[in-house]
Amino acid sequence: MEAVNGYVRNIFETVTTIFEGMAITFSHLMRRPMTVQYPDRIPKPVQETLPLRYRGILEVDMDICTGCLACERVCPITCITIGIDMNKETKQRSFSHFDIDICKCMYCGLCAEVCPTGSIRHSQEFEGASYNPAGLVRHFVAQPVGLYKPKKGGETDPTLAKKVEVGMKYLDEFATPEGAGGAGKEEG
Amino acid sequence: MSEAIHTEGNGFHTEYMTLNVGPQHPSTHGVLRFVVKTDGEVIREAIPDVGYLHRSIEKIGEKVTWHGYVPYTDRADYLAAMFANQGFCMAAEKLGGIEVTRRGEFCRVIACELNRIASHLIAVGTFGQDIGAVTPFLHALRERETINDLMEMICGARLTYNYLRIGGVGYDITPETCDRITAFLDHFEPITDEYDRLLSYNKIYVERLANVAVITREEAFQYNIVGPNLRACGVKWDIRRDIPYSVYPELEFEVPIGTGERGTLGDCYDRYMVRVREIRESCKITRQALKMLPKGPAIAKVPRKFKPPAGEVYVRVEAPRGDMGYYVVSDGSEYPYRVRIRTGSFTAMGIIDKLSRGLMVADLIALIASLDVDAPEIDR
Repeated sequence: MEAVNGYVRNIFETVTTIFEGMAITFSHLMRRPMTVQYPDRIPKPVQETLPLRYRGILEVDMDICTGCLACERVCPITCITIGIDMNKETKQRSFSHFDIDICKCMYCGLCAEVCPTGSIRHSQEFEGASYNPAGLVRHFVAQPVGLYKPKKGGETDPTLAKKVEVGMKYLDEFATPEGAGGAGKEEG
Repeated sequence: MSEAIHTEGNGFHTEYMTLNVGPQHPSTHGVLRFVVKTDGEVIREAIPDVGYLHRSIEKIGEKVTWHGYVPYTDRADYLAAMFANQGFCMAAEKLGGIEVTRRGEFCRVIACELNRIASHLIAVGTFGQDIGAVTPFLHALRERETINDLMEMICGARLTYNYLRIGGVGYDITPETCDRITAFLDHFEPITDEYDRLLSYNKIYVERLANVAVITREEAFQYNIVGPNLRACGVKWDIRRDIPYSVYPELEFEVPIGTGERGTLGDCYDRYMVRVREIRESCKITRQALKMLPKGPAIAKVPRKFKPPAGEVYVRVEAPRGDMGYYVVSDGSEYPYRVRIRTGSFTAMGIIDKLSRGLMVADLIALIASLDVDAPEIDR
């Protein structure tokens, strides 16, 4: 009798628990689907929905780069190479190249953190497929550009001022010992 | 257990068959390989062959700066990168005598516990999938996706976070993110009950796991099993509670242990249930930490050229796969002299051969899934 009871109870439990699972699966028919049809059938491109601190492919704003080489030095994987030339006659220094190897980059964000002007930063871009590795090396200097010198008392040139503002806004995302960045700054 | 079919001189000309499981196999959780000697469908021997995912992370530690090594530790266990970060940062802080700011500690706890939920969701989800229940895996991954989005808001990355810095955290948690995390927890806690109904109490699932591959308390100590696998044997041992670090002493949480509710203490089902209960505890811890989040800076002042004085430390953190230990030696230079990582998955691999003897081949898969071994963590 015991054996028969156990046998029937086993069948009963199996059937009820299976139907319980089925009920949950069925209830999902009524819920909003979680899946999206990437990339074209979504209301907004994914890039626009990402937060500012999203660490996508690195980009450099050469107009506000001071050439301090802090990013090159801090990069644990040496994917940033910067070349600075000095013009012997005018004593003007300028970038000869500023390359970032996206193949090597591990998106750690250490370079963006040390940048004094926020010129090197992670963009929201993440689609970087290329047919060959060479295509993944980003060159930011087409022809030699001069180094940016931060002016005391704020930038006066309106186009540059806008760029500096963008860089500073990006730097605000990072936590600092002074309590800047996110909530710490507003609340104390 | 099943009787041996193959014996010497039984007149049937039977022999053992050597079966190769992995390294590319859907149920081996990464590139793991087992050389299995079977007798019919019964396993007589299962030798784990590790090393397919070795990236010499420990050696790299000697070649990069202290700050620069933190992103590498992400790769030690990519399902729970936050804990690997925390282990190394704590070691460096202990060497350099740096005190983490209070807000930084709470940010760490919030991020770590969210990461623990994500990691355990993968563990229980793939567990179901290995046993043959595919639907719960998708349910688990759906919730994990929301955590990934939250992580994106907290630190900008979805998998290899590099969120912690020596002395605190890299990014502060904004009030907006706090609200999003609370909203997620409100949504997620009922989902865990739904998950239980879908998978945990399913009769077929319970029958597959109960009484399978029992680890006794003594065996667990002999084989150095740690983390949820140890707690499933009924041992109440959690680094967060017993060797407190960070702000865990201020937070209230239970340490779930195995009870042998459906079979024997320390079987596969206990190991599964411990993880499910830990997910709930992590939700509780996250809620408390969000409530207690103090004001102030999230990172302490640490020189960019960090050079801790010569010495050696060993720190341990409670990672989702158990006690993660960092043994770091400094010779006072810009680079660590030696970094050694001790992980829970590696020791869990050692017991598989012993437990699998006499199991069916299909139960071996349940055993591997129940130990929640993670290939990158085994090899490092």
